[in-house]
Amino acid sequence: MLELVQQITNGVAIGSVYVLIALGLTTVFGILGIAHFAHGSVSMFGGYLVYVLVASQGVSLWLAIPVALIVGMGVGGLIEFLAYRPVRNANHINAFIIALGLTMMVEGINLQLFGADQVVIPTGFDRVFEIAGVTIPETRLYVILAATVLVIAMTAFVEGTKTGQAIRAVAQNRDAAILMGVNVRSIPLIVFAMSTMLGVAAGVMVGSLFAIAPGVGEAMVVKGFAVLILGGLGSIPGAIIGGLVLGVTEALAAGFLSSAYKDVIAFVVMIVVLLFRPQGLLGGAK
Amino acid sequence: MTLTRKNGLLYLAILAGLIVLPSFISTKYYIHLSVLALIWVIVAQGQNLIQGFTGYVSIAQAGFMGIGAYGTALLGLNFGLPVWLTILSAPLITALFALVAGYPSLRVKGHYFAIVTLAFNMVIFIVLLNLTDLTNGEAGLMGIPKPGAGKDGAINFADRTTYYYFVLIAATGVTALTALIVNSRLGRVLVAIRQNETLVGAAGLAAWKYKLFAFVVSAMFAGFAGALYAHYQSFINPEIFTIAQSMDAVLAVILGGSGTITGPIIGAFAIVFLPEYLRFADSFRLVIYGLILILATIFMPRGIVGLASDALGLLKKRRAR
Amino acid sequence: MKRRSTIGAGLAAAVLAASTSLAGAAEKDLVVGVSDALTGPAAVYGVPQARAVELAAEEVNAAGGIRLGEDTYKITVLSYDDKANPTEASNSVRKLIDRDGARFLLGFCCSGATGAVASFIQNEDAVMLVGNAAERSITTRGIDNLVRTRPPADYTGAAAGTFVASKGHKRVAVIGALETSFYAMYVDAFEREFVKGGGEIVTREAFGLKDRDMSPQLTKIRALEPDALLVVGYVEPAAFVYRQSVELGLDVPRYGFTSGSEEQFLRVASSEQMEGVWDLRPTELTLQSTGETGRAYHENFTARFGVQPSPSSPYAYDQLYALRDAILKAGTVEDAAAVAKALRELPVPKEAVMQYIPIDGRMFDGNGQAYTTNGAFQWQDGAWVFVQELPSVAEDYSRFLSSIDG
Repeated sequence: MLELVQQITNGVAIGSVYVLIALGLTTVFGILGIAHFAHGSVSMFGGYLVYVLVASQGVSLWLAIPVALIVGMGVGGLIEFLAYRPVRNANHINAFIIALGLTMMVEGINLQLFGADQVVIPTGFDRVFEIAGVTIPETRLYVILAATVLVIAMTAFVEGTKTGQAIRAVAQNRDAAILMGVNVRSIPLIVFAMSTMLGVAAGVMVGSLFAIAPGVGEAMVVKGFAVLILGGLGSIPGAIIGGLVLGVTEALAAGFLSSAYKDVIAFVVMIVVLLFRPQGLLGGAK
Repeated sequence: MTLTRKNGLLYLAILAGLIVLPSFISTKYYIHLSVLALIWVIVAQGQNLIQGFTGYVSIAQAGFMGIGAYGTALLGLNFGLPVWLTILSAPLITALFALVAGYPSLRVKGHYFAIVTLAFNMVIFIVLLNLTDLTNGEAGLMGIPKPGAGKDGAINFADRTTYYYFVLIAATGVTALTALIVNSRLGRVLVAIRQNETLVGAAGLAAWKYKLFAFVVSAMFAGFAGALYAHYQSFINPEIFTIAQSMDAVLAVILGGSGTITGPIIGAFAIVFLPEYLRFADSFRLVIYGLILILATIFMPRGIVGLASDALGLLKKRRAR
Repeated sequence: MKRRSTIGAGLAAAVLAASTSLAGAAEKDLVVGVSDALTGPAAVYGVPQARAVELAAEEVNAAGGIRLGEDTYKITVLSYDDKANPTEASNSVRKLIDRDGARFLLGFCCSGATGAVASFIQNEDAVMLVGNAAERSITTRGIDNLVRTRPPADYTGAAAGTFVASKGHKRVAVIGALETSFYAMYVDAFEREFVKGGGEIVTREAFGLKDRDMSPQLTKIRALEPDALLVVGYVEPAAFVYRQSVELGLDVPRYGFTSGSEEQFLRVASSEQMEGVWDLRPTELTLQSTGETGRAYHENFTARFGVQPSPSSPYAYDQLYALRDAILKAGTVEDAAAVAKALRELPVPKEAVMQYIPIDGRMFDGNGQAYTTNGAFQWQDGAWVFVQELPSVAEDYSRFLSSIDG
């Protein structure tokens, strides 16, 4: 029983990271219809940035993180404007190929700027809490808390603000939104800025919990898409539930079934969901 | 696209060029690269069928190459079957896996299909790595035999030029088969799916069957190419069959010209030979490839072939004046 | 990737060759090829190896080159990047042999890429010297023109098993990169020796090359209550295992096979989290265990490249000296087969940095395999400390290796 609770605790931390990655992907997909495959690599760029600021420039972690989040918003907007906007009206396959090209580019730039060795963001958090035999390292606890705050903030933004209303309007019906006077040219920029900011937050979490290295971003984005398929395309609650389900499934699979095949098990779960509920666990029937 | 006389002449010219190519190459290393390029032609033709004609990006071609390569190698090493038989069984084994993977994947549209195929490629990689009793894991399989009876046989496949012609025949066959498919009614349905899938459904056709067909055939080509690769190099390990290589197939199609027959041929040679000429920029390789992919999609959506035919058309107009 | 310095060296050699040939003396160019991972994750092993070969070649050239009768050969090193990928490795070796006319191939840090080249090298007029790649089957296939400076992983694993058993442990849990076959072989050999002392391996948990969260596996291990933990794998994930084992309160002695430097571990785990960890591995380059030549190598390498040599880089450095001695012994640079034969009859070169155990007075045994001593290192106050040599019988292992076919 203790082992089960410990495994679930292990899974929730990584699950929170998946949630943030998936939230960024699901908003871009739900609102703009783009499968932004470069999201993982861009997120890791943010993580690297915090690492460089903290480890080699001596900037405090609490300053470095907001700086990276703001840079992330800028990068997100830039990507939308330079890469995706030119193929807005072309066949959707073009946007996806652009996404693949972007992934290679950003991975290549990360490699050039930050090298091939893994980097770990020095946080200085090394306490470990123990509650009734279940241990949880300080960093993991903060990651779970930060993810919760970000999820609430994003929901409040989308549900409660004027801009959020405009975004939802575009997601539901672009033409109607134009008629209602929504500035549809700025919406994609805002969506990309927001989702990249969430991604950068996830990148920072990966860098402080684990490590950032070449290929980690791609692995993350694949997990992110798996979450979307699990939770339902474009669904925000789906991304939250799906992320936690995937994180915990992986931990349980590694702990109780087979550590060598834990990723396979996660993908099998995804394929089974596709077979029986192609709209995802929380997606409505279409 | 119809098989006009002009097109036919073009194909014959390309084929003739490839037949005489080895006699122009004095450094054997470039024959080696040409063999690899021809193997990639087969992969790219398959990729083109699903990506270029049907409009679904599959990122699993390298994984399917892996299934074909391990299939042929293991059949040969464990059951002592003759090489020609194992090479021919490779695409069939791959087709089985593709059916299982394709059925659920094709229930989702567009991008998600790509992601699911990518996940499938990862699963293939993980299984090849961990199923060590069968695959010998990361250390790989060595000593995969060449076709034929060795140096004393009628044809010595250990000779690179000989293998070049062997693969050239295979690549020509696959290309001809692709041309047949895309020029048939089936091919026209595939193109219709790319252009407007809903309309195909409205016309009373079960689009998923056609998509599955294109996906399985593309996988079979990849499996066949994988088998040819395994017997050429005599060594395989999972590292050869990762997503990075699947991306090369995507790149080959985009670069050469998607939805054409000559495009994948040009694209395949480009992805094998380009790195040789980009050595000076080796550390920027990923950045350059990514940039090529983006710029090609935005400014050159019909690839090198499209660019060439535009240039040709322009030239003719001038001459006509 | 042709590295700029080698182009420079090549040009210099060509100019030198041209100018001296005018004077009538026969100074010739000897091309030595290096295929290694110069980019990508395996570059941590490959780049230091390529540099070590370059350093050794410069030293040999500075000492007058290789003299064969009338001729003096100056070495030009051509290094190509194989990214530790099998296809790229066969490409770069094909290129070295076919295009650049190289007959001697050095480097080879990583097992997959090495295996690909080993599968066809027998048919080529060339000699292949393998470095850090630890996969056993490379030297069990009876390839006459291949030798390897690094001992296979299971040779070290057996010694580690005996050592851990002697510490009185009975229940050992294993966590490692078991998908990589030489790590799995290390564990198999470890287990064979360890169970002789009445112990058992209670579980074998795996992690992948890119995994960094091993807490699920460690949680499972914690519930099994072992008396010791054995960690095998590349440094980067292994460092996380050590950190997370402390975070989960898994308070048992920890043994490992990782060959990482202090800096690599400290990037991930604190020194307190590492305290007391053992590393059971070949006695590679460490300042405490090495002799005069090792210290000189360390100094020259650092001066030449501005970074310290990695512990495993001397495997490649020693390749070049072995090659030089073999060429001198064979008296030819044309006849690759004669050089290959001479390699297997060679005593350990006096410049060798690693501490090789000769078999019948020879550096390489009949399989083309060299053996170094194995050592037990322990993390004490922020650094690896050499504690003792591990009991390892190279002759026995050499006989065992000969008995394996394929």
